[in-house]
Amino acid sequence: MTHDMDKIREIISRSPAQPSSLITVLQDIQREFHYLPCEALKEASKMLYVPLSKVFSASTFYNAFSLTPRGENIIRVCQGTACHIRGADQLLEQLETGLQIKSGQTTPDMKYTLEVVNCVGACAMAPVMIVNDKYHANVRVDRALKLAKRG
Amino acid sequence: MRVDSVTKLDKLRNDYRKLIDTQKKRILVCLGPGCLAMGSDTILEEFKKVFSEKKVKDVTVESVKKTGCHGFCARGPLVVIEPDGIFYTKVKKIHVAEIVEKTLMNGEIIDKLLYIDPKSNKQIIDYKEIPFYAHQQRISLRNVGQIDPDNIGDYIANSGYAAMAKALTTMSPQEVIDEVSKSGLRGRGGAGFPTGRKWATCAKVESDTRYVICNGDEGDPGAFMDRCIMEGDPHSVIEGMIICAFAVGSREGYIYVREEYPLAVINLQTAIDAAREYGFLGENIMGSGLNFDIKISRGGGAFVCGESSALMKSVAGEVGEPRAKYVRSVVKGLRDQPTVLNNVESFATVPVILDKGSEWFASIGTKKSTGTKAFSLAGKINNTGLIEVPMGVTLREIIYDIGDGIPKGRKFKAVQTGGPSGGCLPEDKLDLPVDFDTLTEAGSMMGSGGMVIMDDQTCMVEVARYFLEFLVFESCGKCVPCREGLYQLYKLCTKICEGEATEDDIDLMEKLSKTIQIASLCGLGQSGPNPFVSTLQYFRDEYLAHIRDKKCPGGVCRKLITYKINDLCTGCLACIDVCPVKAITGKKKEKHVLDTDICDRCGACYAVCTFDAIDIE
Amino acid sequence: MIDIQLNGKMVKAEEGEMLLSIIRREGIDVPALCDHQAIEPCGSCRLCMVEISHRDWEGWKKHVTSCLYPAEDGLIVNTHTEQVLEIRRNILDLYLARCPNSKVIQKLAEEHGVYKTSFDKIPNADNCIMCYACTRICEVLGRSAISAVYRGHDKVIAPPFNEEPPDCIGCLSCAMICPTGVIPWSDENGVRTIWKKKFDLIVCEKCGKEIISRDFADYLIETRAIPEDYFKSCDDCKRIDLARKMGAIVLQAEEAKL
Repeated sequence: MTHDMDKIREIISRSPAQPSSLITVLQDIQREFHYLPCEALKEASKMLYVPLSKVFSASTFYNAFSLTPRGENIIRVCQGTACHIRGADQLLEQLETGLQIKSGQTTPDMKYTLEVVNCVGACAMAPVMIVNDKYHANVRVDRALKLAKRG
Repeated sequence: MRVDSVTKLDKLRNDYRKLIDTQKKRILVCLGPGCLAMGSDTILEEFKKVFSEKKVKDVTVESVKKTGCHGFCARGPLVVIEPDGIFYTKVKKIHVAEIVEKTLMNGEIIDKLLYIDPKSNKQIIDYKEIPFYAHQQRISLRNVGQIDPDNIGDYIANSGYAAMAKALTTMSPQEVIDEVSKSGLRGRGGAGFPTGRKWATCAKVESDTRYVICNGDEGDPGAFMDRCIMEGDPHSVIEGMIICAFAVGSREGYIYVREEYPLAVINLQTAIDAAREYGFLGENIMGSGLNFDIKISRGGGAFVCGESSALMKSVAGEVGEPRAKYVRSVVKGLRDQPTVLNNVESFATVPVILDKGSEWFASIGTKKSTGTKAFSLAGKINNTGLIEVPMGVTLREIIYDIGDGIPKGRKFKAVQTGGPSGGCLPEDKLDLPVDFDTLTEAGSMMGSGGMVIMDDQTCMVEVARYFLEFLVFESCGKCVPCREGLYQLYKLCTKICEGEATEDDIDLMEKLSKTIQIASLCGLGQSGPNPFVSTLQYFRDEYLAHIRDKKCPGGVCRKLITYKINDLCTGCLACIDVCPVKAITGKKKEKHVLDTDICDRCGACYAVCTFDAIDIE
Repeated sequence: MIDIQLNGKMVKAEEGEMLLSIIRREGIDVPALCDHQAIEPCGSCRLCMVEISHRDWEGWKKHVTSCLYPAEDGLIVNTHTEQVLEIRRNILDLYLARCPNSKVIQKLAEEHGVYKTSFDKIPNADNCIMCYACTRICEVLGRSAISAVYRGHDKVIAPPFNEEPPDCIGCLSCAMICPTGVIPWSDENGVRTIWKKKFDLIVCEKCGKEIISRDFADYLIETRAIPEDYFKSCDDCKRIDLARKMGAIVLQAEEAKL
């Protein structure tokens, strides 16, 4: 997959051209492309004066970043303590079975990516699922797949 | 418009108060995380739409305010009508028109939206009379759920920035530090280090540059107090940081917000922009000569970045690995400069201490743990939500008087506090007061405020396994005791859950835990074994049941339980629809059949059955 | 100079000197797998942990990594208490599960009485002990071609994207500093291969021996002000050349005397 280098450079230049901007720049790139394209990381290394190895380390260290393209719809199942004891595992299993992928994977038609996230801070309404930034609370195990596919 | 004197601020406060008073009623729509997840934003929109179409006496669209978390998440979405305190629960979009028509236009109460006290069976109109609220004392949460976080006017009207003005115009930096020290405020992030002492140490280091950082990482699963303060009362954090900057001599501040809290970033940025406009951030604040500004630094998603040196690495754009050197960050922190790092709740509390006085604050709570503490109540408890109580209140009071006990008639088993660094305490420890020291002595810790209640359908061994899995995933990987040690501890705990372990494995795990606790590089590793150690201390019989009897008393560990369908089955097909491995067969209105060989014991059938027809053995 | 107590004996040290250096100077053997004199300590193996106290601490003790703890007056250090030895044994036990075939680990573990691991071997076990010496030396050299990627138990040392690292100059410092020799490399037919990247080697104009990678030579010339023709001959031939020149000078001087 090739990406518009001008767009990439524009995104990177929104932050000061220095190493401390790295995480912010990675987030901006992630938000734009829904993952971190290899050429964007190489450009970030040049423009922020950070060795490519360190850019790569940061990209693989943090949970927010994906090095592979993700689907149109991102489904995240919260795995916080409250969600865990109120059935997060069951929700995840429903989704893995229904979408035929494991957590961390994307469906072959690139429509759905299933992920887990370590606590989104909505614990009072556990179990929680987020579909494309929309929160769903008190998710019932028999409704999880429908909510995910609704997008 | 710059507000650069106390006189100007006083006038502004009066103006804002008058403005608020012109609205005879205020309709507060809770947009806290719980209510928002239940769609309360659509309720807010509906109110605004109705007011744009209808004329109601004394009430305009400006009377409708979004607020942060009001607290009683279990009853959300919440709508509160002030100044009467009318508390409507489980509100839906379709109720909005009725609320406007009946309550706002005709002064009628809508009974079906009221809270019914389960003990007295009485409806309660004013939320302040509900036990959930009546037992609380909200100091750091004073504005959360009461004001519009985007409106600096609301904050100023509620005495916002008065403490900052007092500090900057009438006190010296040392006097501010002394006041904070006298109050006895201890860090609310979990470590409980005396805040005044931290500021004093930082101020003494000789340096031109000093940083003030607010730790908004709140990585503990089960905790959302800081999220609610950042989203619901961002100015309180900013004001606390300005006071700190004045006290220690800093020009540059950061609020580090975890990646999973995008709304907190938005609300904080709105507040920072407004504070800049009024001159509360920037040059020569209140004419005091203090130049201070705040930037938001976003995390990338890593629990370890809640640790102070890892957080500072992340702010500097690097991988969040804690520092191995024995240097305190107050001496050498961000970019090797003296840095004060405090938690969100700590900063939010500082303005009140300056405003009402250290003596007042120290009179609340206990001698060694003064003031109040915010908690997020979650898990198997009726009244999930955000609360704040004086230190020294017992676990029993929180769980039963405020939390109203365990739902579905089940039995209490354990209360988990302190996140992955903490522990689980059983029933006979419920009369312990909650403070920094008592719970630690009992083998747990108060932590940042996440409190997860567990019932008799929880397996304590599996809880330990869950926390270890979390920590293995979140470990930075730099040091051997944490990276390899927690990994092996997790593998062994999994072995126990699968009924494959021996009692020697427990001895090995205890021995390994001690090494991990002593030898790990940072707090994540050092406290990593705690969930295992504390559950072993209080629930050893459960561990032994898994090992000796190959049984899981909580009915959770999949390899040790069996699901069966009993005669109460009405043949409703619900479990068949939901079984991920198609282990259940049957026709409508006929007792279903569960094939235990195919069944993977996920529990989905149990969750959907409304006839108690599924047994777990 | 300050005084500290080390295993019951009073010893002198510089204020701020790391305890490990004092311990070694006193001839005491404390293991330290991630320590190397060419790089700053990083405190990752935790084997050099010692027990410390202080005359003002009223008997309170704690454990610290001696590679990173600076000496101060009045410090009391014990390097071989039962608890410290237990920590070392447990850490080596964990290492054996991680690197079951490493001779270095096996030897060190045996010296501490650990002959086999109490744990299950980790999947994909290799001999990398994650001491970060390779990444640290690469950074010191100014290249940062490789780094530690991923997090926690998945952490590995790798070049960016697992491809040829663009910043690698083929100097072999990482392979040389690795205590368990786990980084593969080869010099064959004038070509060096490391991290899947190929480098042309400069050969000595006099004897034909392979000296250094072209990229490393260029880097040194550019950044360390080494003269361009320095790498035309190898060190041995340079010595022979120099010996000849010195010899010629001596002969000339003797002839002049005559």
